[in-house]
Amino acid sequence: MISFKHVNKHFGDFQVLTDINLEIKEGEVVVVVGPSGSGKSTLLRCINRLETITDGELMVNKKLLNSKDTNINDLRKEIGMVFQHFNLYPHMTVLENITLAPRKALGISTAEANETAMFYLNKVGIPDKADSYPSQLSGGQQQRVAIARGLALKPHIMLFDEPTSALDPEMIGEVLDVMKTLAKDGMTMVVVTHEMGFAHEVANRVVFMDHGRILEESEPAAFFSNPKEDRARLFLSRVLNH
Amino acid sequence: MLDFSILTNNIDTYLEGFLNTLKVSLLALILSFILGVIIAVMRISPMKVLQLAGTAFVEFIRNIPLILILFIFYYGLPSLGMELSGFQAGTIALSIYTAAFIAEAIRAGILSVDKGQMEAGRSSGLTYIQTMRYIILPQAIKIVIPPLGNQFINLVKNSSILGVVAGLDLMYFGDSISSATYVVFDVYIFVALFYLILTIPLSLFVGYLERRLAVTG
Ligand SMILES: Nc1ncnc2c1ncn2[C@@H]1O[C@H](COP(=O)(O)OP(=O)(O)O)[C@@H](O)[C@H]1O
Ligand SMILES: [Mg+2]
Repeated sequence: MISFKHVNKHFGDFQVLTDINLEIKEGEVVVVVGPSGSGKSTLLRCINRLETITDGELMVNKKLLNSKDTNINDLRKEIGMVFQHFNLYPHMTVLENITLAPRKALGISTAEANETAMFYLNKVGIPDKADSYPSQLSGGQQQRVAIARGLALKPHIMLFDEPTSALDPEMIGEVLDVMKTLAKDGMTMVVVTHEMGFAHEVANRVVFMDHGRILEESEPAAFFSNPKEDRARLFLSRVLNH
Repeated sequence: MLDFSILTNNIDTYLEGFLNTLKVSLLALILSFILGVIIAVMRISPMKVLQLAGTAFVEFIRNIPLILILFIFYYGLPSLGMELSGFQAGTIALSIYTAAFIAEAIRAGILSVDKGQMEAGRSSGLTYIQTMRYIILPQAIKIVIPPLGNQFINLVKNSSILGVVAGLDLMYFGDSISSATYVVFDVYIFVALFYLILTIPLSLFVGYLERRLAVTG
């Protein structure tokens, strides 16, 4: 479903991603971990072309991402994205936040879009917030709205970039629970996170990055009990010991 | 004391000037706003050619005197075979001149919207234009309203350059009343009052909008 082959990415002279090779199959949950600045967000953002790759081959849903024939707007409708800082639209209600793209990008009627939005708001547990504005919600609620907004496009893939890093500790659980349910329902997910418990429990695979390279790719049990790489070991000892 | 007979004796003339000033202000307000939005969007668009054209427009227009732009349209165009009335030339010059400032105000407003908003919009499959229209501009407009209001007030005041090219505005008729009556002070005080009739409500309206938008934050 997602395939990186020898992908490199530069920001000017600076190489952020080096020779990335990664295959993600339908229904898989892949968690990306690594120190800050290692290129995790960039890797994720290449998948929906918020960042363009410099060279190599990146296929998503059998479409070549850096090809002129690929309509990027159509491809993005199949990929939901959840950001660290939610990025909800502050001037719209929760319902309007969720229905905007279905109405304007998919061309679905308002009535149908509202119905779909309510379905997903139920799923993330806050149907009563439909008419609230983002500023009236807690961080955890905002992030759940953001997830519902991503799902409302009925995407094949969901991308999460540190979805709980901006949350107060007591709200992390409610967001992770929604993500766990999604994973159980068979959604293909790529998740950048420091929540090792989530990785352990939900991921099919853990990808460890450092300095723009994928250093290790293992099943979570193997990765956490016996990381192959020294740097992965060091990283784990840091994140698990506080 | 002001001699109110100046006002009452010339009320028709004052009113004609007032209405024309109102007309040129409204026309130029609409035109400069549309042009300003287009230029602002060009300047922040991902396309280099548009950026360059937008920047060139703003820098050129902002850095020459308004009256020069007016003279180009009023005295310059006839040599190219195009005659404009003072009113027409004034409306066009004012619109172009104000558009450069409006474009800058709007651009600053757009840039102040968090870039995560554009990313959220684009990543959900909306086009650049849709994202601008539904997500970025509605947020930018709140930030832009105070500077925009100031630009519109300036526009009303700047419309007085029509007087220079027989544009039949308040300033022009003020001049003509003054030379007919040999009164200077009182005539122009009344002209000032007519300008205030336009600018003070505008200023209050902008204040009202600011407060209202702050509430719906
Ligand atoms: N737009 C950009 N321009 C230049 N450098 C960038 C840009 N975005 C990220 N970087 C750099 O690329 C590196 C990787 O960034 P990122 O992918 O955000 O890492 P992570 O998400 O793992 O913390 C960092 O050193 C960061 O400073
Ligand atoms: Mg990051």
